[in-house]
Amino acid sequence: MPREIFQDKDNLNQRYHRKRALYLAHIAQHFSKEKLFGSVKFAYMNSNHLKPILLLRPQGKDEKMVTVRLHACPAPGLFKPIRFYPSKNNVRTAWFMEQSTPKEGATEPPTPHYNNSILCDTVLLSHLQFLSSAATDFPGMKDGLALLKVWLNQRQLSKGLGSFSGFLASMLVAYLLMKRKIVKMMSGYQVLRSTLQFLATTDLSVTGISLVKDADASLPVLDDFHQAFEVVFVDPSGLVNLCADMTASKYHQVQFEAKRSMEILDDRMVDGFQVLLMTAKPMLRAFDHVFHLKHVSKLQGACKKMQLLNELMDRGGNYVAAALPFIVSLLARGLAGRALLVAHSLPEIPEWPIDAEPPKHKDVGPLMFGLLFVPEFAASLLEKGPQADHPEALDFRTFWGEKSELRRFQDGSICEAVVWEADTVYQKRLIPEQIVKHLLKLHADIPESSICYMGALLESVIRTGQEVSGTGEEAMVSVVCSYDDLSRKLWNLKGLPLTVTAVQGVHPALRYTDVFPPIPMKPIYSSYNRIRTKHLLLPLEEKPCPAYIAPLKIVCHMEGSGQWPQDKGAIKRIKAAFHLQLAELLQQQHQLVCRPAVTHTDVYKDGYVFRLQVAYHRETLILKEVVTPEGMLKYQDTEESRQLELETLHLPYLTSSLHGLQQQHPVFGSTCRLAKRWVSAQLLSNNISEECVDLLVAFLFLHPAPFTPPSSPQVGFLRFLDLLATFDWKNNPLIVNLNAGLTDADCTEIKNRFVAARSRLPVMFIATPKDQWSSMWTQEQPSAQILQRLLMLASESLRAVEEQLMDPLNSQDVKMVFRPPLEFYDVLIHLNPTQIPRHLESVDRPLKSFSRGVVKNSTSVKILFPVVDYDPVQCYLQELRDAFSDLALFFYDKHGGEVIAVLWKPLSFQPQPFKVSSMKGRMVTTLNSELVCVPNVEAILEDFEVLGEGLVKSVEARTEKWTI
Amino acid sequence: MAAAGERVAGAAPAGYTALAVKFGARQRSPHYLLVKEHQVREGADTAHPPRRTLFVLNVPPYCSPDALSGLFARCGRVQSVDICDKPGTGEKKEKLTSKFFNRKTVTGFQVAYVVFRKRAGVQAAKALSQEGPLLISTESHPVKTGISKWIASYAASVVDREELKAEVDAYMQDYDKKIAEEEAKAAKEEGVPDEEGWVKVTRKGRKPGLPRTEAANLRVLEREKQKKARKELLNFYAWQHRETKREHIAQLRKKFEEDKQRIALMRAQRKFRPY
Repeated sequence: MPREIFQDKDNLNQRYHRKRALYLAHIAQHFSKEKLFGSVKFAYMNSNHLKPILLLRPQGKDEKMVTVRLHACPAPGLFKPIRFYPSKNNVRTAWFMEQSTPKEGATEPPTPHYNNSILCDTVLLSHLQFLSSAATDFPGMKDGLALLKVWLNQRQLSKGLGSFSGFLASMLVAYLLMKRKIVKMMSGYQVLRSTLQFLATTDLSVTGISLVKDADASLPVLDDFHQAFEVVFVDPSGLVNLCADMTASKYHQVQFEAKRSMEILDDRMVDGFQVLLMTAKPMLRAFDHVFHLKHVSKLQGACKKMQLLNELMDRGGNYVAAALPFIVSLLARGLAGRALLVAHSLPEIPEWPIDAEPPKHKDVGPLMFGLLFVPEFAASLLEKGPQADHPEALDFRTFWGEKSELRRFQDGSICEAVVWEADTVYQKRLIPEQIVKHLLKLHADIPESSICYMGALLESVIRTGQEVSGTGEEAMVSVVCSYDDLSRKLWNLKGLPLTVTAVQGVHPALRYTDVFPPIPMKPIYSSYNRIRTKHLLLPLEEKPCPAYIAPLKIVCHMEGSGQWPQDKGAIKRIKAAFHLQLAELLQQQHQLVCRPAVTHTDVYKDGYVFRLQVAYHRETLILKEVVTPEGMLKYQDTEESRQLELETLHLPYLTSSLHGLQQQHPVFGSTCRLAKRWVSAQLLSNNISEECVDLLVAFLFLHPAPFTPPSSPQVGFLRFLDLLATFDWKNNPLIVNLNAGLTDADCTEIKNRFVAARSRLPVMFIATPKDQWSSMWTQEQPSAQILQRLLMLASESLRAVEEQLMDPLNSQDVKMVFRPPLEFYDVLIHLNPTQIPRHLESVDRPLKSFSRGVVKNSTSVKILFPVVDYDPVQCYLQELRDAFSDLALFFYDKHGGEVIAVLWKPLSFQPQPFKVSSMKGRMVTTLNSELVCVPNVEAILEDFEVLGEGLVKSVEARTEKWTI
Repeated sequence: MAAAGERVAGAAPAGYTALAVKFGARQRSPHYLLVKEHQVREGADTAHPPRRTLFVLNVPPYCSPDALSGLFARCGRVQSVDICDKPGTGEKKEKLTSKFFNRKTVTGFQVAYVVFRKRAGVQAAKALSQEGPLLISTESHPVKTGISKWIASYAASVVDREELKAEVDAYMQDYDKKIAEEEAKAAKEEGVPDEEGWVKVTRKGRKPGLPRTEAANLRVLEREKQKKARKELLNFYAWQHRETKREHIAQLRKKFEEDKQRIALMRAQRKFRPY
């Protein structure tokens, strides 16, 4: 800008900024008439509303490709730098408050940010020269900076007010070059590494750095800068703080990311490039809890409450920028110990056309905050303060307000303390919400209604029973306790011919991943058909179907002995005899009600039903035995042996591994349950094994890079969807390193063998330390089509749910992604709710419920054996699949779905020539005077009703999609 | 999807007759059973005697043997009905002795063999196609489906302890006897040459032989190989030296090719879109 347009004292009271804006507007008006430009727009530089810039885009197809950003800067030497030292004032209080006369005797506060914004313009050119001199003969710098910028961008750090912009990154590299931490010989990767290393180890909010080469005594020192700014990085002129707008919290986030990235780069098990530079880390997926400040205008009140007039003056009235550092530090103090990181989104102001009104402060939209927890302490109930007689006690009391009270502790000390109310694990996870709302209300006058806390919105779908306050973690623990007790009793059982060597659980509830954990139940006799002679109950046809009691499967390994027969038929009989005897002994010695069967014994204990299955370790071998004609004994896998091996060897191992994982990561179980609930809500639970979903979720916890292991079920679920949607199943195996059982070399080996044998392996390949080559849990399911559908549903669900979580102003219905789209199916079979035993588990809890013949009770001992594992819908599905599996696919949500969706298989609807083996459900007809077979659709539709007599309400054939 | 157009209900391929059946009077669309006289290619099928046996295709899932014999009772006395999931060879499977073990229930659409007392029954059954649809579940003989069927099968799944115990004991006694007999026989034959002079070596005798398993065989082979390898001179002759070198280079080439392919694959799937 020419020198002539400025006058004396233009440094004061935003006069410079206004002239600068006018100047730009003038230029913009000229340019807008030029044909050369496709668009001329205004924007704020780094969203700083005092600094507009002009965006010029060429006409034609290049419009999206090229943008010229026009900065206005004053002629050199226009202002004396001494006027803009961080301790100087350039905005007068009286002018800002629009008072006519200044108050007598009052000292004017320093305006460092204001000063900095003017100084920035004066040094633009010298910065350019400085950087270009640093970049000469240094090809690695360009590459390294490109990488760094991608790195920053993927973490959403590089845009908005107070961002760690690409310019800042360049200056930092130049600084490291100056300090000889980087030399010009280095490659791009080395530049990236050194820069991240420096960021990880240096806290610029405590020890600032400066690019000044030879210190001039007249220049302000670093301490002056530290007093005025939160983060300090001084430019070569020694006047400008490049990080003026950055909050300490944002820098800590950068530092945290750098630390994490260094760990990832050093870890040889992960593909650093993919993880660091190719994976986006949006706040929703990176932080355990996020919350929105719905209306930033509420921050005006906060400024008033926190008495931030000086800051407002300094920031030119931008209340968001003025209040943000204080709000964040307030939260950081309140959540100290619980949260590793308190981060905020960067306020970003969009560009606007030159003939429109410029956006206001409130147009930055809702402000988002993210909390990353320390899993051990995030849910603690108590906030212990200093002792009552210490001077800090007062400080503590003012910080926490009325919540703080005196408490006497067990060691005899009397301290100030805050106790949060929470009964269940679910509520404990939400203690940070209480803290945030309380502190913001108390100190910043922000009402609870304008905070939209997104901590546990999704968890409502795994809530159990009638109570609203819990998500079933407690139920899970009590199941495991009861199981432990039972296994102890089994160990010590007297009178068995062989001793029990191991008791292993295989039911998902015993690894904390059952979607709806079993609840202790006692039957009400009147709703059943009582068979006193056999001590059991049977369901009654005229009553609603009894509540579903899931048997908890337990494998009971018996000691090996020469007494065991070596013949598969005989082993089966002996096992049956063991089941009988176990039932008898448990009844005699522990008064447990039992019901033996050929393949298992059901035990009713503490209101749960356990299903004991005796196993003999040599049985799988015996099943595999084949004698060749030459008399040689060979071992060959058979379907039966594989099944038995899976049940008695691999599943118990998986269960105990995942049980261990739950101990390390307390939200593993809940994340799994959310994931399984989603899979089942999308009607696919029958097409993908439960263990497979468990392993996918375990992967998120064991290999979280670039994130940290999730500390809330919601973020875990979002990452689960993201994993499903983005993982390249075709070209990569998913390696889940349970118990760190695989080394680096093993992983490479698995990858190589996977590539070599891809076409013969299942579409979804999951390798674990005990199962490196076969991917046993995905062997049969899912099929390629189902996987494709699953991936599509995952990416759509992720998009929908993130959209909702990002938009606090609209009413949220996050359950939307748990309601399956039904337009896709050919026939819908509507079921009668009275006969759906798990009706209460459905996503939208039914208004009307039925008496299901049970009450919650865990103490009853002598009872008639309840109805176990009776689910008419599953029986029905089994019959349908047996009869029509070659004509149609059947989809159902096993957690209380009211509809079975049927999809015809298009191939089997082609008319086929008559064949004896493929006549099932078809009829012969003439087509073009040829005899062909076609499915007898009308009769099949009626069969649906016949087979499900009493269960099926109606069959809706969507004939618009196909013709009969 | 399916061809609409003009269709002749109840058409049947050569040799077969189509019979319309419905579950009950309420249903509107019938299924079509395809029946023909059972023919045996060779040998005598004792369970399904030719001429008297009707072969039935496409039997609906809710149609039990009893219901089927009820259907055909009007054509003559039915001797037996046999339902299986595939057309069998006719060889009657061994009668299932156990009430608890190896029970397999056939589900879905099945095939059936209906054996009449007299030959006339088969012809009469074929003639049924002229009449209206046959009903499987009638008021006098209702067929259970749906909830009532599942409750019944739940009740049936409860085993009687005494009965099961008795069966297991009986089986095990038989089994023990069989094993004891085999052992006694083996002990008697121990060391006694047969008529050609061969002596059977078992694990039990004074000089136990190697167990004849695949694993043991492999172990022996492995040991032999090791022994051989120890004796062999490697890279001793010039041609051996050349050979190893050539092999090494071939190996390297192969690996290089593989790596090249892998890199090509990685490049093909790269989706580098950071912005």
